[in-house]
Amino acid sequence: MPPTDDEELPLVDPAESLRLIQHERANLVRELTPDPRLMYWPWGFAWLIGLGAFFLRYGPGGRVLVDLPDWLPLVLLMTAIISAGIITGVVGSRSSRQVTGPSSRQGAMYGLTWSISFFGLSFVFGQLSGTLSESQLNLLWGGGMVALTGALHMAGGAIWNDRSLFILGVWTSLINIVGVIAGPGWHSLIVAIGGGGAMIVAGLVGWLRLR
Amino acid sequence: MTDGARPALTDGGAIPELDPVIHAQARLRVVSALSVMREGDRIAFPRLQETLRMTAGNLSVHLRKLEDAGYVEVTKTHHGRTPTTLVQLTRRGRLAFEDYTAALHALINPKEEP
Repeated sequence: MPPTDDEELPLVDPAESLRLIQHERANLVRELTPDPRLMYWPWGFAWLIGLGAFFLRYGPGGRVLVDLPDWLPLVLLMTAIISAGIITGVVGSRSSRQVTGPSSRQGAMYGLTWSISFFGLSFVFGQLSGTLSESQLNLLWGGGMVALTGALHMAGGAIWNDRSLFILGVWTSLINIVGVIAGPGWHSLIVAIGGGGAMIVAGLVGWLRLR
Repeated sequence: MTDGARPALTDGGAIPELDPVIHAQARLRVVSALSVMREGDRIAFPRLQETLRMTAGNLSVHLRKLEDAGYVEVTKTHHGRTPTTLVQLTRRGRLAFEDYTAALHALINPKEEP
């Protein structure tokens, strides 16, 4: 609604006032909420592409479905994940710029939680390299990281009372277990499509809701 | 409620009075936008101005009126070396806004009045 010359004047119609209120509230929510597409899609595509490459190179039963260089899947996945981390970090902090208070502190703490917990888990898993076979290691890293992602999404849902984020976390945790039961190779495929796909859907749903 | 500055909803199905402080369109827009923010969260003046598409002068005038009524708290602080002006709705402002929207609903549909 454009500002008018008679801003001192009240609106005559109460319904119009309510519309104005709704409009301004929605406007600030949109302004303060990071674009869900930019928050979810980089991760969704990182999983889809990175874990998809893992499935093709390190398939079920040790099969090589596509003869990619053996270093390529890990490099693809790490590059995609680091890019996704940078994108969401920048987008998230841009939307909380010039806002201070409990909400931005919560956001900063949640962001740090991701970085620190992933670092911690990588550190633990890193100690095990050499003691397990390659396919077991892939399952350990894949299964562990996806379990942590699911847990952090559920925690995010609890913090912001965000049902869709919580459901995404539950879904991610469940398909992770299914993937681990199915075994190395299958885990990559199930998580790439089920987990990556779910994040792409979550970004789309969040964006449609905000519009 | 006997808050003085805040007219309460009148009993007996009469037409509720509307708070003159936020009845003005521009101030209603400011208060509506600020009402989205959680208690304790503050937004910097330039970002609020950008979101509301108001001129700085215009927004200042309306913020002062809202501040005088105790509806808005304006804090001047420093972010590094740059001075920043932070704005937030006070608890009183939030209540006034809730009363105001309740009054609007009551005007549209008198049966909804508590």
